[in-house]
Amino acid sequence: MTRHICTIRLKQLLPEVFAARKDLDSDVWQQDLTLERGKTYLIEAASGTGKSSLLSFLYGYRHDYTGQILFDEDDTRTYSVGQWVDTRCRHLSILWQELRLFPELTALENVLIKNNLTHHQTREQIDQWFERLGIADKREALIGQMSFGQQQRVALIRTLCQPADFIMADEPISHLDDRNAAVMAELLQQEATRQGAAIIATSIGKRLPLNYDHTLRL
Amino acid sequence: MTLVWKLLRRHISIAQFAGFTLASLIGMSIVMIGMQFYTDTQAIYQADDSFMNGDYLIVSKRVADRNTFTGAKSSFSTDELDELKAQPFVESVGTFAPATFSVSAGVRMPSIGGLSTDMFFESVDDQFVDAMTADWSWQEGQQEIPIILPRDYLDLYNFGFAQSRNLPEVSEGIITTIQMDIRIRGNHKTAVYKGRIVGFSGRLNTILVPRSFMNWANEIYGAGNDVADVTRIIVKVNNPTDERITKFLTRHDYITNADKLESSKTGYVLKLVVSIVMSVGLLIMILSFYILMLCIYLLVQKNSQKLESLLLLGYSPALVARPYQLLTLSLNTLVFGLSTLILCIVRGLYIRRMADFFPQFDAPGMMTSIGFGLLLLLIISTANAWAVRHKMDQIWHHKS
Repeated sequence: MTRHICTIRLKQLLPEVFAARKDLDSDVWQQDLTLERGKTYLIEAASGTGKSSLLSFLYGYRHDYTGQILFDEDDTRTYSVGQWVDTRCRHLSILWQELRLFPELTALENVLIKNNLTHHQTREQIDQWFERLGIADKREALIGQMSFGQQQRVALIRTLCQPADFIMADEPISHLDDRNAAVMAELLQQEATRQGAAIIATSIGKRLPLNYDHTLRL
Repeated sequence: MTLVWKLLRRHISIAQFAGFTLASLIGMSIVMIGMQFYTDTQAIYQADDSFMNGDYLIVSKRVADRNTFTGAKSSFSTDELDELKAQPFVESVGTFAPATFSVSAGVRMPSIGGLSTDMFFESVDDQFVDAMTADWSWQEGQQEIPIILPRDYLDLYNFGFAQSRNLPEVSEGIITTIQMDIRIRGNHKTAVYKGRIVGFSGRLNTILVPRSFMNWANEIYGAGNDVADVTRIIVKVNNPTDERITKFLTRHDYITNADKLESSKTGYVLKLVVSIVMSVGLLIMILSFYILMLCIYLLVQKNSQKLESLLLLGYSPALVARPYQLLTLSLNTLVFGLSTLILCIVRGLYIRRMADFFPQFDAPGMMTSIGFGLLLLLIISTANAWAVRHKMDQIWHHKS
């Protein structure tokens, strides 16, 4: 495995469920597209255009697509379980739309369960992020007892607890006010810049406030 | 790992795991106790005769009334020996070589005084004498002759002779320390040797000396080695319970130490019973293994969402399988530990009775049964670990 994944190339990628559709007019589907490390991408989409599917394909969670996804030169269909595990720990980080937090654990534990695996951030850094996102008092609260907006912020901190070449965020601010959205964007941008990582954010309306290099229509 | 455990221990049903532990404990205890009991009883059979195991038969012809008057001998002809050797149940056949010289033995003990008696020697091929090969040898020039006596002789002395004459009883241990004076006469020559009893046999109804001594002494004091008729033979069989043996012996009117054949049969039945009991134990273990697997599968199913999230966080299937693997390993180890404890307690109860019934019983160790329990622990835990891992791989591939 290389030290970094520098490019993600999509070659004629299409979800299998879209195979019968003739009216596709997309910057991503059935195109040859290269996503580069260090750039910032916004993927704009209407509901039902396969936004979450795209991120699941990139993250190796789903494989029900035609075409190819290449990490640098490697077709991800040939990835072994071990390679995917390594990729998810060191190269790709994702903030799921449905967050995938554990309601039985506290906010802090939800973050630590990732950081214990990667040992990427210090405990001080994590505490500091809790402060900046205004949820320091919720650190010991169970996720199940927090609002969705608060949970989104916890999920962001967890997303930042690993080294990454591409950070993907699926509608990360859908339940946040503008001030918190701005703090979140700032943290994300800081961490991406520090690591030289790309950001791939999706939106169906509310955009994460960043300076995007490319905006792609799905 | 503690956070992962905190997540994954959700939905653990104490009742289910207690059920497994109990079932598995019963199964493993039965298997281990069965195996230990078999080992212990085998030791009793072997303690009966340390020189020959149950696979040897001593065969002779029935002495007919007319033999006494006609002087005919009940010896085996070469054809008869060849026929016996050709039987499928026979592994090897040895002959008894009798001494063709006169022997008398004398013992001098402070409390008894002097005893002297005429006696006879016989020998068999050394391959038929199992034990104590170091003791069981004689070289030319050696003054001391090792001897094996029938245990009946000692009983005859202790319970008959000593009682009637108010003489002290002697144990096997003491008698092996006593040296006898062996006087040999023949061919107008006389010699005195020291005889040392190296052991007693419950199966050989004769006084045995090493073959090397017999060959030598027959040449010097007797009529050579080839003149004696073969009246008794020793046969090694591959399965003493084989009914063809009994049929063959009856057809030829041969007699054998049939009670020993019976004890072999008893041993066989015992082996069979223990095997059945152990099979039942194993069956219970297999069923309890399934209970555990069902418990774990149910647990994995209930926690599948969490497991999938952990895999998406970057946890490997091996890493998320580990808590469940450790759980099963701990339970299996607990079961093994408790089974060993139960085995010790149960054995403690029966071993004292065994020792009462069979004074010669030398209790063997528990290594075999504990080792077998350990082997079961390893096999079951490995199978558990594999199954858990397989389940995690299924979750990874969205197949569960």
